Amino acid sequence: MSGYGADINNSIWMRAVLFAGGFLTFGIIAFSILGVALAGPAHEEYLAAVDEYHHAEDAWKESVAAGHSIDGDHHDALYIEMEEAHHHEEEAHLSYLNWRVSGNTILVMCIIFASFIGIGGIVNSIQPDAEHSDDEHEHHGSASPIIFTFGIMLFMIGFPGFANTITEILTGTNAVLGEMAIGVIGLLVIILGVSNWWREDLPFNGHGEQIATSHPFEGEHIRKAGIWVFIMSEIMIFATFFSSYLRMRTGWCTKWAFDNDMCDADATGYDILTASDYLRPSGAAGTGDFWTILPGGINTFALIISSYTIVIALKTAKAHDWSRPDNFMTKFIPLPIMKFVFPDQKRTVRNFLFATLMLGSLFIILKLVEWSHLVAEGFTVSTSQAGSIFYIATGAHGLHVFIGLLIMLYLVFKADTVGYDEENAQGIEYFGLYWHFVDLAWVLIFPAFYLY
Amino acid sequence: MGDHEVIGLEKWLKDNTGMDIYFWNFIVLMFFTLFEIGAVFFDKIPGTDIKISLMMVWAILIVVGIIKGYGIGAYFMHLKGDPGIYFKTAMFPVLFVLLMIFGIGLSNPDGVDGLPSWCTPNWDYATRR
Repeated sequence: MSGYGADINNSIWMRAVLFAGGFLTFGIIAFSILGVALAGPAHEEYLAAVDEYHHAEDAWKESVAAGHSIDGDHHDALYIEMEEAHHHEEEAHLSYLNWRVSGNTILVMCIIFASFIGIGGIVNSIQPDAEHSDDEHEHHGSASPIIFTFGIMLFMIGFPGFANTITEILTGTNAVLGEMAIGVIGLLVIILGVSNWWREDLPFNGHGEQIATSHPFEGEHIRKAGIWVFIMSEIMIFATFFSSYLRMRTGWCTKWAFDNDMCDADATGYDILTASDYLRPSGAAGTGDFWTILPGGINTFALIISSYTIVIALKTAKAHDWSRPDNFMTKFIPLPIMKFVFPDQKRTVRNFLFATLMLGSLFIILKLVEWSHLVAEGFTVSTSQAGSIFYIATGAHGLHVFIGLLIMLYLVFKADTVGYDEENAQGIEYFGLYWHFVDLAWVLIFPAFYLY
Repeated sequence: MGDHEVIGLEKWLKDNTGMDIYFWNFIVLMFFTLFEIGAVFFDKIPGTDIKISLMMVWAILIVVGIIKGYGIGAYFMHLKGDPGIYFKTAMFPVLFVLLMIFGIGLSNPDGVDGLPSWCTPNWDYATRR
């Protein structure tokens, strides 16, 4: 037994290694299909479209030089042909990016998932089983959060060197591996801290939950109070992004502001493009249509659905006498599907946590596909203040989603092995609060940055 | 998301539809998200010649944001039903958020007179400076 609570054999952690193998396999298959099989022909088509565009451009320039066409005549057949070729090139590029970026993202995410759960599993499975003690119902406290925090501090100190070296490796320039030493040590400490944390939590069966004894949280679970205080600090972080954005936005003369007479009196036109100008159908960049707003829209739905799936997971875990749902919604679902989704209480919790994991992963994939489109269209982090705040705010939110996914990996693992019930479901409940907060933040980010 | 007594609207929904408040909250969130995207996607109200103005879009985004925020906070995060201290904890940073938004006007390098008129309603010094 490790930690406190139920008797858990450390060999159970080998299942985490199986999880890691599953993620790696899935990542490689998805990358092979999306990033290679589908992206390959799309890349060929893109290169052909580039050639076609260059030919059309040359033909137009030669025609202008020879005096057959007038520079600036947008009704000239050659000019129209060049513009159509350019449009086709852009579409081919974005189509290629769809496959390539989604394939790469799934592969990288699966590698990170596999590393996280796999290393944690190996580290914990090789630990000797602790002796059974009689004080199992008493909480022992934990050093894991401090180890974890120390790891984050080291990683942040070493981050500039770490990021530089990774960039040098990716761009093929001379990389000095020693520069990333502190960052790598930080990552190792983080993984060890998290592994130890998991090891302590896995046997937790609900006994020993610490209760606050003083005002204002007297009688409440300390962990619940802690997560709310943490969320309080998160609200402040996102508030800084919003206030920065609003502060800058009031000073920008966007097309929307210009059309509604909100710019300076001497303004002759809009002078900045925001992300929504690229994404909205009526945006000033002229690139927006149904398909550009679609990823953000799907992501919004994905987060809301994921909020609901984690609620179902918690409800199922806390149910006294669980039985397969029978209501007007389930009447439309074939029995084999119902049996697959709701096999029994333990596996239903796991299934819905896994569904939450998948929906969160979909969010990250679509987010990066969308970013790749914006970058391809010239809207980067260094384009303007609008680019900086867009990528920083949505990137910070995406990072929160991704960190949530790493925590959810463990929840899925615990749901699959030890299982959650009405006694120990607090883990899902407290993580759910964080996940709902991430959803709530998106409720504000999406309209502010994508629709407005 | 903790255990709580099912009363009022929650009980009525459960008794009459067989589905709990979480399900209906989820449906409401999905509907308003669709509404939100639609407000931006269409230039005119579908089936009419009524143009969707900037102010109308703002109003829709803000109202929908409040409704969705309430749905997630009150039901999914269970602030409605949990002890009041959690609500107070969640609301505590709002004070600072309001200060930050107020700070937009104070921190503008153009000074308050450089802000758009809708940001400086009836402030005499905005025109005197």
